[in-house]
Amino acid sequence: MELGFFGTLLWPIKWVIEAILVGFHSLLTAAGLESEAGVTWVLSIVGLVIVIRALLIPVFVRQIKSQRKMLEISPELKKIQDKYRGKKDQFSREAMSRETMNLYKKHGTNPLSSCLPLLLQMPIFFGLFSVLNDAYAGRPSVGLLTPALSAEFGSASLFGVAPLGLTMATSDGNVAVIVIAIILVILMTGSQFLTQLQIMAKNQSPEMKNSPMYRQQKILLYVLPIVFVFSGAFFPLGVMFYWFVSNIWTMVQQFIVIRNMPTPGSEAALAREARLAKKRQKKGLPDPDAAAPGAVAVEEPKQTTQRQQPVSKNRAKKQTKKGGR
Amino acid sequence: MSDPAVVRVIRAIGLIPRNIIVAVLHVYRAVISPLYGDVCRYYPSCSAYGLRSVQEHGVLKGSWLTARRLVRCHPWAVGGVDDPPERHHSPYRRTRFGFIVLDRKA
Repeated sequence: MELGFFGTLLWPIKWVIEAILVGFHSLLTAAGLESEAGVTWVLSIVGLVIVIRALLIPVFVRQIKSQRKMLEISPELKKIQDKYRGKKDQFSREAMSRETMNLYKKHGTNPLSSCLPLLLQMPIFFGLFSVLNDAYAGRPSVGLLTPALSAEFGSASLFGVAPLGLTMATSDGNVAVIVIAIILVILMTGSQFLTQLQIMAKNQSPEMKNSPMYRQQKILLYVLPIVFVFSGAFFPLGVMFYWFVSNIWTMVQQFIVIRNMPTPGSEAALAREARLAKKRQKKGLPDPDAAAPGAVAVEEPKQTTQRQQPVSKNRAKKQTKKGGR
Repeated sequence: MSDPAVVRVIRAIGLIPRNIIVAVLHVYRAVISPLYGDVCRYYPSCSAYGLRSVQEHGVLKGSWLTARRLVRCHPWAVGGVDDPPERHHSPYRRTRFGFIVLDRKA
């Protein structure tokens, strides 16, 4: 069998994907689902998403932790932002990015998630694409997907009418495929939109809302639907479904995080405070902030660090007469 | 140099592969990069690093440098400023759009 460069690269990934799919498939058939039913295979794809996204949870947790640490360095970050405020030329922006990065490094924290996880998800996506295509075309699989299973997977269909291996482009007039692909595109765009909006509207501190990163995210909101429409035409339904379930996972994950560990200073953080306060009231517990009454409310008299100049007795008298000190 | 014209042509042909990759990277940075937003833990970002190293060092060495950088850009990396190795006496010139051409004096 001719493999080629990409085939060789994808081989181990395809093997793992097949193993996970077959694993879930046998679990599901053991649970009483029909082996060749579309539902069984669709749920196997859901299983694949669960395994892969669960493996990525530590990466996600790590990212959140470092985002929390951002609060500690926010004064310094603000200083850099003020320094370059209003300077929009390329060199200032570059210098600003460099200083920001150095600041992150100095404090051993970094709010960005890094490139490698993204890069690792791409082959999984293409691996599934390839496994599905092979199964649909009746080509031999690379691993645990036996010819019989492969044939089942290839002909498995969503709701019994739309084969998973078909794309909008290869649907050949199969209306069900086109309709389902369009619905998936709409759902994907919707879920992505919600996730992004959720982050942007609720989980960002005011400083973050002024950063160029925020503007980029905003642009993203409008680029995504175009990408989804395009992919809807060329990716098989099975792959689209994988992508959709993965999006849903992101959305739920994001929702949990925003609810329970919001970015300090953001709207979501205030909402959480309010929720917790209400809970305490219900249970009749004292407010921890109220334990030291006046701690926040009473403002300390401002202390000036400037030294009072000593004055001669005569002068001091004059000043008091004038109504000074 | 006995025949600068021939040498120039050969060198110009030698620049084609890296300019193709430069074009591909431009498209990637314009179309696909925005999909992810800012993710890179380094400055310049991985794709900018890749672009720079291919421009400076050609496809082979540039790819190698970029691959190593991508592996470095993992969730446990500290990040920071990380520029590609510079080439001090490059015989080429970078155009406004980032393509690499022969310098007039070369």
